[in-house]
Amino acid sequence: MNPSIIGQMAVSGALMGLVYALIAYGFQLTYATSKSINFGQGELVMISAFFSLTLTNLGLPYWAMVPGGLLFGAVMGLVVERAGVRLALEQKSEGWILLTIIIGLFFFSTAENIWGRDDRPFPTPISADPIHIFGVDVTRLELAVAVGVLGIMGLIELFKRRTLLGKAFEAVSADRDAAELMGISATRTVMLSYGLSGAVAALAGILVSPITTVGPTMASAIILKAFSVAVVAGLDSGFGVVLIGMFLGALESLSSFYLGSGWREAPGLILLILALAVRPTGVFGKAVIRKV
Amino acid sequence: MKRILLLRGAELIVFAFLATIPLLVVNPYALGLLTLLAIYGILLIGLDVTVGYLGQVNLAHVAFLGLGAYTAGLAVTRFGLGMAPALLAAMLVGLLLGGLLALPALRLEGPQFALATLSFAALSTTALNELEGLTGGAQGLSLSRPPVWGHVLTPPLFYWLCMALLAVVWMLMRNLLASQWGRAFEALRDSPIATDAMGVGTYQHKVAAFALGSSLGGLAGGLYAFNFQYLQPQSYTYDLMIIPLLGVVLGGRKSLWGAFVGASVIVLLPNLLSNRHLFQIFSGLGFAMALAAGLRGLVKKTTRPFQALAPVVAMGMLVVGGFFVENTEDWRKAIFALMLFSVVVGLPEGLMGFLSIFLAKLFRVPQAPLPEPSDIETILPPRAADGAPLLVLEDLKRYFGGVKAVDGLSMTIHSGSIHGLIGPNGSGKSTVVNVISGLYTPSSGRILLRGAVLPSGSLYQVSKSGVARTFQNLQLFGELTALENVMVALKGVYRSPLPLVLLGLARLEERRAQADALCLLDRIGLKDQALTKAKDLTYGAQRFLEVARALARKPDLLILDEPAAGLAHPDVVQLIEIIRRVHKRGISILLIEHHMDVVSELCDTVTVLDGGKVIAEGPPEEVKRHPKVIEAYLGQPVQTEVPGGPEPLPA
Repeated sequence: MNPSIIGQMAVSGALMGLVYALIAYGFQLTYATSKSINFGQGELVMISAFFSLTLTNLGLPYWAMVPGGLLFGAVMGLVVERAGVRLALEQKSEGWILLTIIIGLFFFSTAENIWGRDDRPFPTPISADPIHIFGVDVTRLELAVAVGVLGIMGLIELFKRRTLLGKAFEAVSADRDAAELMGISATRTVMLSYGLSGAVAALAGILVSPITTVGPTMASAIILKAFSVAVVAGLDSGFGVVLIGMFLGALESLSSFYLGSGWREAPGLILLILALAVRPTGVFGKAVIRKV
Repeated sequence: MKRILLLRGAELIVFAFLATIPLLVVNPYALGLLTLLAIYGILLIGLDVTVGYLGQVNLAHVAFLGLGAYTAGLAVTRFGLGMAPALLAAMLVGLLLGGLLALPALRLEGPQFALATLSFAALSTTALNELEGLTGGAQGLSLSRPPVWGHVLTPPLFYWLCMALLAVVWMLMRNLLASQWGRAFEALRDSPIATDAMGVGTYQHKVAAFALGSSLGGLAGGLYAFNFQYLQPQSYTYDLMIIPLLGVVLGGRKSLWGAFVGASVIVLLPNLLSNRHLFQIFSGLGFAMALAAGLRGLVKKTTRPFQALAPVVAMGMLVVGGFFVENTEDWRKAIFALMLFSVVVGLPEGLMGFLSIFLAKLFRVPQAPLPEPSDIETILPPRAADGAPLLVLEDLKRYFGGVKAVDGLSMTIHSGSIHGLIGPNGSGKSTVVNVISGLYTPSSGRILLRGAVLPSGSLYQVSKSGVARTFQNLQLFGELTALENVMVALKGVYRSPLPLVLLGLARLEERRAQADALCLLDRIGLKDQALTKAKDLTYGAQRFLEVARALARKPDLLILDEPAAGLAHPDVVQLIEIIRRVHKRGISILLIEHHMDVVSELCDTVTVLDGGKVIAEGPPEEVKRHPKVIEAYLGQPVQTEVPGGPEPLPA
């Protein structure tokens, strides 16, 4: 096999994998504060992408559409938190798994009826022309994905480390009860994490849409891989998701080449089940000591 | 007796009614729906094992439906098998793959379990799609029902077959879930650690529960194949992944009737939606119900505002939507989502859970009477205490990274003694208990029980060897009654093999278990609260129940991990009395305690730990005066020349 083709597949796959990493990062944000994740995050990605498309169609320029889309995603994230997560957390039950699935189902149906069931192209000012770097072709679009993903993750990490609000976020992640005793509202911090997670999901939608097109089912495959990345890397692993995301993206791209495109999801799924079986806290996650 | 008659009567009437329908009404469409109801009933009963009893969100059930369907389809088309062997094959595939999936999923809980099952479901859809040579891929697979005993199965005949299978599954599952198996599944949900520590074995039971549920999924899949006679991989995707799950929750978990009600809703809903008028009536009714229940909850302050209002808002959206939306069928998923949201938030016990409370009030059915408690002499025959070494720790170490929690502990507990283990906070007491009981593997050192090496690193194995423990942070099975908590742990009562249990032939043994457990509850003064859920008991009662549950293991050595923690004084007095009574049966006890009065009153020997090492050992009065002990507790160097010696430690 021509090594340059393999390299090409691996690089494009890895760049796509950054999108999975971004969504997985969104899972980490909420898992850190509340030990919960939104099982309907895929629908959030999709509905935010549709909303952004509508903004574009209304004539908004790209630079104005992106913040609008992010804001919409953040609001939807807050809706999920209020309607699906808060009550279950108060009752210390795992009802949030079901409730977030249900809310996702609702979003799906709403999007299907408002925007239709067909896939639509997503216009973007960034060109899809390839650039030749180190013997591999990379499109500007793919580079924009990489810049966007790493950029927002860097910004959020800076926010967590440099601002008072961000430190409150870290405090609740480290020890919810202790943070509450120090006068930090855990409820608000959880809200913040869901808002951020929603914005991150929206950005993932905006970044990936020009490549995949927009449709109600656009995220159903992506989300499975984002789950895989989050679990394989560990739900509290920080930047581990970037490495695992790129690895999984490359693996997927290569396996769809060798095994046929129908099997492209398989390695990620098998990896996820194996990772859970061997190391439930993930490759980069911390081991937990059981206490009684 | 009256209760049993009522329950069985209701089942009989419903099944008899369902069976006679094809004789009365000749409507192929209705018959099709009823057949689907029976199939979904089996599917949901299977799903309820994991979702209700194990308490895990299982998204893989649809995969077993699909795999079962394809197995049955291929068995008929490829191998020319008859219907019965094809269905059996479908069940077997569910059983085996379910067991296989349970192995990696074993250690997982909550979201991780849900994700593992989600991946399996996605993976199996991929496989069905891509293995074109076998399944025909996206083209689908057509089959026809093979004749049974030379008869072609007409729709009514096939319907009766499905109903008969549902009835059989119903009966077998009722027997199983009412037995020790069902209790073990529930115990597993409430506290896997305690389940292992009570010698029940989380491992076997989790695999068994998952495999069993999946085999029912496979059976339902086989019937599904013969019902539609055409299979496509796409049929088993997301939609169907969630709908059965929601059916179980909507109907009510841990209830066969709940599964049945859930199946009816799933089957009837699409028809309800196709008629706009009917939909408006039902959504209006739902809104009124949510409003009434919500207001009642708010006024009586039994529910939080959100819990009362959210269902009202969701149902309100349905009513308003019903007027504006042109085609309700397009919004099928959103409508389903809103209904489910209301039920999950407003009626967490599901429709059947709500109804059963209502019906119980209506009929005032008395609980089945409990048997007379067994004689304590038969359950815990007094044993001779010979004073020989029972448990010996040799240079035991357990490090956590750089922290030396237990650092070279050697200690001997003699048969028939009450041995105290005390020490200030962080001295390593709890770690010692956790290492002996098998929660932690020791970093080095040996533990001998009657001279034989005690298995290390397995709560289950240690429990089997005759060491039982209680937990400082209560690990009761909250959703089980006090009686059931003890019954789960009972050793040496459950002997019937699975087939007998399934056929309901293990009732005698169940009776005996109740009597034995009742006797133990009597010893701790909880006989009158035998049928109270453990989570509803008072704190003191919960502590005592931990002791009774550990006693049900009929142990040689009983480890009590801070049994008096947080107890009020009268309860402490009662606890001392309970421990005395246990000791009189000849059971040796290792008592970890903070309360000095409890220790001095009960213990023959006391070992004092500090920094993971033994600093003193001897009779309580002697240990109390030991300078190192006083230093460890009060943190000041003791001047030995002070006249009269140091004061004894305050109790």
